[in-house]
Amino acid sequence: MAIYQEFLYDDIGNTYERKNLYFKEVSKLQESIKSATPEQKSAVKAELKELKRNKNKHSYNVELHSFKENEKIFLKELREKTKSMKASLKGKHSRRVTILKTKQYRFQLKENFYQPFKDLTYDNVLIFEEAKIKSEQLKHTIIQVEENEKALESAKKELHSFDEVYNAKKKDELKVLKAFEKEKFNKAKQALKEKKKSGLISEKALSNGIVELKKQRKENIVVQYYDIPKHAAKEKIKSYRYQLRKGTQRELSVIESNVADVRRKTPTEVSKTIPVNAFLTFWLPGLGQVLNGQWIKSILFFVMSAFAYFVAIPYALGYSNFQGKGIAGLISLAEGGKKLDRSLIFMIEGIIAIFLIIFTVVILVIAFKDVLSVEKKKIKGVRPKNWFETKTAVFEEGFPYLVSLPALVAIVFIVLVPIATAILLSFTNMDPNHQNKFEWIGLANYKLIALGEGIAGGPFWNILGWTLIWTIFATSLAIAIGFGLAILANNERIKAKTFFRAVYLLPWAVPAFITIMFFSIMFSRNGILTGYLNNIFNFDTPIAVKDNPFWSRVTLISLQGWLGSAYVFLLSTGVLQAIPADLYEAAQIDGATAWQKLRKITLPIVLFQTAPLLVGQYTFNFNNFSIIYLFNGGGPFNPSKYGNLAGSTDLLISYIFKLTTQYDYQAIGAAITIVISLGLMLFAFIGFKNSKAFKEEKL
Amino acid sequence: MKLFRKKNDLYLSDKQPLTFWGVIGLALTYLILIGWSIVILWPLGQMVISSFNGNQDQYLILNGGAYDFSFKHFKFLFDETLYLSWVKNTIFIAIASALLTLLFVSFTGFAYSRYRFKGRKSSLMSIMLIQTIPAFAGITAYYTLHTLIANSVPAFSRQMMLILIYSAGGIAGNTFILKGYLDSISTELDDAARIDGCSSMKVYRLIIMPIARPMLAIIALWSFIGPFMDYLLPRVLLTNVESYTLAAGLYTLINNQYDFNQPAFAAGGLLTAVPIVIMFVVLQKQLVSGLSKGSVKG
Repeated sequence: MAIYQEFLYDDIGNTYERKNLYFKEVSKLQESIKSATPEQKSAVKAELKELKRNKNKHSYNVELHSFKENEKIFLKELREKTKSMKASLKGKHSRRVTILKTKQYRFQLKENFYQPFKDLTYDNVLIFEEAKIKSEQLKHTIIQVEENEKALESAKKELHSFDEVYNAKKKDELKVLKAFEKEKFNKAKQALKEKKKSGLISEKALSNGIVELKKQRKENIVVQYYDIPKHAAKEKIKSYRYQLRKGTQRELSVIESNVADVRRKTPTEVSKTIPVNAFLTFWLPGLGQVLNGQWIKSILFFVMSAFAYFVAIPYALGYSNFQGKGIAGLISLAEGGKKLDRSLIFMIEGIIAIFLIIFTVVILVIAFKDVLSVEKKKIKGVRPKNWFETKTAVFEEGFPYLVSLPALVAIVFIVLVPIATAILLSFTNMDPNHQNKFEWIGLANYKLIALGEGIAGGPFWNILGWTLIWTIFATSLAIAIGFGLAILANNERIKAKTFFRAVYLLPWAVPAFITIMFFSIMFSRNGILTGYLNNIFNFDTPIAVKDNPFWSRVTLISLQGWLGSAYVFLLSTGVLQAIPADLYEAAQIDGATAWQKLRKITLPIVLFQTAPLLVGQYTFNFNNFSIIYLFNGGGPFNPSKYGNLAGSTDLLISYIFKLTTQYDYQAIGAAITIVISLGLMLFAFIGFKNSKAFKEEKL
Repeated sequence: MKLFRKKNDLYLSDKQPLTFWGVIGLALTYLILIGWSIVILWPLGQMVISSFNGNQDQYLILNGGAYDFSFKHFKFLFDETLYLSWVKNTIFIAIASALLTLLFVSFTGFAYSRYRFKGRKSSLMSIMLIQTIPAFAGITAYYTLHTLIANSVPAFSRQMMLILIYSAGGIAGNTFILKGYLDSISTELDDAARIDGCSSMKVYRLIIMPIARPMLAIIALWSFIGPFMDYLLPRVLLTNVESYTLAAGLYTLINNQYDFNQPAFAAGGLLTAVPIVIMFVVLQKQLVSGLSKGSVKG
């Protein structure tokens, strides 16, 4: 049984008396049933039944019906009347005025017609109020437009009938003025420069002064320029045109927002009591909006529907795929497919299909929620927003979503799809024997890694060990060098600081791949640095750095110390310079030694401020692919310990690179990627959770 | 005269006079600083010297020997290799990815800094975590992804894929940087503009863009430098030597059998490094501030 509430409400909770007397009576009876004693109840119920049966005979409904008939006739007449009005106005006025006048006329007729029926429904109230506002305010707009048009006409006339002689005279005057202003400007500029030379004003003041002079000169000329009748007329025409275009637009939007004010204060009354539309139309975004009477909004949602039904869903079902079969291809992985079908393509298209489906679901949910909330409000009495109101809401409240959308799409397709591919790939057996077609094999790859078995998984633990050693030593070395140098160079007695700072910046500024490759050349078998090394240590048998695992590793760590120290130096120098001097002075007065000052003041401040970045350096080195790969390709090889795929200086990251691009063990490579990504994420998460910014919810 | 001499003997510095150990310490400090300068300058100097040494063929000769100043290797670089097209490619990729990054990030940074919307915190968190996944977790997919896009948009080249990867990969980190920067600027200006009737788009265009300009410049600069420094992705994605970027191209000079030429590599490295070094030295303050602002302060 439909239950009607007694009152209507608007957006901010104001209550309104119902105008539909039939509903009012029904709701009153329903109320009284609630509070009635059992004996009375049946009587009231019968009364209600009677009322409902005679719904069409109810006096209010009869009246409403006759009004609707009247309204129909009126609307028909209205159409004809406006048409003839338009025809009669045509030719007498400009197009703009004709349209405005017709509109005004129409609203006036409406106002007159609806006024006596205001008490019948809230819809009539709204139509009446809207017509009233519009017919009244359009009058002003029309007057303004007409005035502007007149002014524009006269300006146009002016352009054609100015006094040629006077114009020429003014033009000559302008020329004279221009010459005069130029001379004046040059003189003033010269004077300023003199002042600068004699040291009275600064460089900045000089340039500011010149800018000011230029502006003055321009202003003077412009004033004179518009004294010429021809230019003045042209400028006037421009300005009136602008007024007509933009000014009128603004006037109309003011009227719209006035109407919106009334709309918000006028409730609506509907006969239904359950929001059925939302549930009936959830499958086609846009339909529900049509039923709610929000036309332009519905078009937007229909566009999204078109995306869902003509792009996303067909794609997920396998249509218009490049090779794959949509989501189904994700399960089959091209098993039993054609010879050229590649499992990888099936997988990626499946992933894309899933993301498209997610988009579709999001669209459906948004549309459903929108219809539902509008409908619920409608039942309560709140009028659905018209496009003018919706537009503002979408562009203000929806703004962050709207502007992040391109970035979101880019991230989904360029970052998330590849990551999802890596995750899924780690559960397959994509290896040299299964390049085109591979299958799901569950956790087997992870098992291989964990147990250190197989050709590709074998060296995992050894490589992980070296990766950790490398990360810790290389990063700590770089931090130690950089920090030490920063403290030394910050000594106030040191001269030529700028020189040292510029030099120490170099390893950071020169692109790393260049220096690494150059060092790689110098450390080659006959390279100059290999020679020095042999001379210094005087080995029994001369070593070749790149063939010796131990020396390769030592060299790599020192090289990273060389490269990474510059960045740390730069960071800590910045922090050191910002430490207030009074801290040290206070310590000095209290009798602190240099060592105590360093330990109690400098170290804590610098470490505290640069900590997040230093932690970042550890993660960076954990994944420092270029130095390993470019220096020696991960070599030298040591098959007894590292198998045939990895070299003894390979990091996990360069091992993954080799597995994926050279040896075609993509599945194991993906599995290792996932393992280290999880590790790094955990690392980052812990650091992030502990950071002040997160705790203070300042994000 | 006596008066004058006395004045000269006066100790006028506001630093304490150096003790004996202080002098030794200072000398040691100088020694270390100069020593490290040599450690830095020597290899770089070798590169400069050898790139002008005409007395070398395919291999670098650094151990002394005859020195013959010439531009031979530079000539080789321009005439025999594709150096110029590598430069062009790199600059094209760098500019395009910098612009695209700016377009994405200026909006997201604004949205995350000035709006409190549903899903804000969780999306920030997930951005943060996704960022830690190494960029080439997806190398297997990039190739296929490019094939898929090129299938529907034939004009989509490998270089464009590279640009997309650079700029999409930079969204997360740079959003953080810009957001941090905008957070440090009070919202009074925006509020005033809103009261005066500016829409969000107008606030973005008239208020946020001008005040964020310094940080946007830094973000653009870093995105611009990125393609100059990166070796991995161009190597994986670009298959044609003509479409290589500088890093991938120069590596062929010391790795390929056919066009193996170490001195030419030194020359190319020098030419590439000089503009970048100049830029770093001139803009070091801005670049460093960009780095440290980006981190979530402890």
